[in-house]
Amino acid sequence: MSATRRQFIGNSARLAFALSAGVPLLQACGGDKSEGSTDPIKDGLEPEKGPLRIINYADYVNPDVIADFERLYGVKVEVTTINSGAEMTAKIVDPNIKIDMSHSMSATSLGRYIAGGLVMPLNKSYIPNAKNILLAFNDPWYDKDAVYSMPYTFFGTGIGFRSDRIDAAEVEAQGWDTIWNATNFKGQVSILDDEREAFAMAMLRRGITDINTTDPELLDQALADILELIDLVNVKVNIEGYKDIPEGATTIAQTWSADLILGANGYLPEGTDSSVLGFWHPPTGQYAVANDMLGVMASAQSPVLAHHYLDYMLDNDVSEKNFSWVGYLPALTKLDADYVIGAGYVPEHLRNCVPTNDDITNGLQFRDIGIDGDLLYEETWSKFKAGA
Amino acid sequence: MPGVAWLIAFFVVPVYAVTAVAFGQVDPILRTARPVWNPLQWDFQAMGDVLDRVIGGDLGRVFLRTFMFVGLALAGCIAIGYPVAYFVARKAGRSRGALLALLVLPFWISYLMRMLAWTNLLQLDGYVNRLLQWFHIIDAPRTWLDGDWPTVVIGLTYGYVPFFILPLYATLERIDGRLIEAGRDLGASATRTFFAVTLPLSVPGLMAASVITVLPMCGDYYTSAYLTSGSPRTEMVGSQIEFFLRQSTRPQAGASLVLILMAVLLVLMVYYLVATLRQQREAER
Repeated sequence: MSATRRQFIGNSARLAFALSAGVPLLQACGGDKSEGSTDPIKDGLEPEKGPLRIINYADYVNPDVIADFERLYGVKVEVTTINSGAEMTAKIVDPNIKIDMSHSMSATSLGRYIAGGLVMPLNKSYIPNAKNILLAFNDPWYDKDAVYSMPYTFFGTGIGFRSDRIDAAEVEAQGWDTIWNATNFKGQVSILDDEREAFAMAMLRRGITDINTTDPELLDQALADILELIDLVNVKVNIEGYKDIPEGATTIAQTWSADLILGANGYLPEGTDSSVLGFWHPPTGQYAVANDMLGVMASAQSPVLAHHYLDYMLDNDVSEKNFSWVGYLPALTKLDADYVIGAGYVPEHLRNCVPTNDDITNGLQFRDIGIDGDLLYEETWSKFKAGA
Repeated sequence: MPGVAWLIAFFVVPVYAVTAVAFGQVDPILRTARPVWNPLQWDFQAMGDVLDRVIGGDLGRVFLRTFMFVGLALAGCIAIGYPVAYFVARKAGRSRGALLALLVLPFWISYLMRMLAWTNLLQLDGYVNRLLQWFHIIDAPRTWLDGDWPTVVIGLTYGYVPFFILPLYATLERIDGRLIEAGRDLGASATRTFFAVTLPLSVPGLMAASVITVLPMCGDYYTSAYLTSGSPRTEMVGSQIEFFLRQSTRPQAGASLVLILMAVLLVLMVYYLVATLRQQREAER
């Protein structure tokens, strides 16, 4: 029964990916992916000779960190890049693409991969550096007892802004209303191109903290609210706050906290000081937080090596080196706000961009709302994008 | 026979695959498309929902917006492309080869790269604003990238005009020069000869060039995404297709939109084929 289901998933995904990526259909006529393991690997195994095949978003890991790992283990690391979670899923189930581990699963995709038998339980005897991770991730809400995953980076959603154009105190006083009140900055306001994030923002603005609601009335209200932004501020919809705010094309944006750190370190025009950047951290209990995860595929051909890589990525020094390039904070105890500010990675005035263990513990999380919930959000989002 | 094979490989099979997705299912866990190949098992729910939104709904406005952008961009292509193609074909003389090479040059650069270049050119402090200010056409820098439709039309025109010029050039170049000379010999002015002889004879090329540019423009989504940062004011059908196919739980809706767009474009295609056949018959008389 299981084999039939996997064949079916593979066939479906091959077609979907071929259609979406424009790959010739005939190319999809390959064999089926071999059955993966849903048991953890045994203790004490030697790492395979590679290559280690990783799937990850583009520019979401420091190439030097990868090169160091290659030297350390004498193996080759091959990175398959993706642009979206859907593309990751399509490639993971594609039998023609070999993948040992994912570098950046979201909470919702991890849940689906577990249900679909696509990820293997981790053998933590290979991951001694798991001791370095923040307490909140030892038993995360998306993966009981962290059986299948280790956290990679974590971040929260707030407002990024140009503090040389709008007063930080004004943003603090207005909260999410800042975006609706930004009529002086028409065309320079953006929200995230993500239906869950955008509607959550609209609901939080009205004091609704159940960001996983599937109540159609609440969602209709949220739609009406963000539709107002089209005429009020000529809103842009993208995930480019990390460069648009520092470069000045955007003045106010719903954005991820890490984008400001990234922007301060790599996207400010020459001669512009990072003090022009500001971030509004929503109050405790209203801060939506999220993280990406590392995990090993059930069909991995180098599962032991993948475990070693996972442990390597949780090493404090490796993580610090990776953070210095990626800008997204790893969920490690050592790399707290004091440390990254003291080391010069984050300017003091962007301290609130560095998420904490408390942010995770008390924050709001986007949970799996089921297929009907997703359909409702997507349909509503499509209406917004259509300018309904 | 080769024509039939071509038709099957590059039209029938892809369209059937899209249809199987449009009327198919979705994997309940991984949310990937589950195409249904047997027409007896097709589910028309997604197509019905999409059609409801297209006919008098919000997606109908997206279609209208798309056709408006494409129409304006086509007008831009004609305004820029016709004089260029005419000059190269009829007036360039010895420099024709060099000019042709210049016309082909844009094909060496990816469309996406050319759009990315425009995002820099259209920045507040970009060269477009500097140039317009230098010529005193505008007093202050214009915010081109803030979600305004003229930017999308400019982008589409710029992106597709090379595709427009080449087929038109081929037609203009093949016009028998003696026909133009006959017009002049009979006392018509250069302008009148152009409108009475050259333009009518170049209509097949104009139509072919229009088809070659309009079809991909209608499915374009990256021009709007790059140049207006995803503003809902400039959303085109291609963006909705991309959203449903690549980012949603309902790829059937995206595939349905593809089929609807194809059906609309098929009407234009049929008109083009009929008009071309008619012209051929007239020419043979």
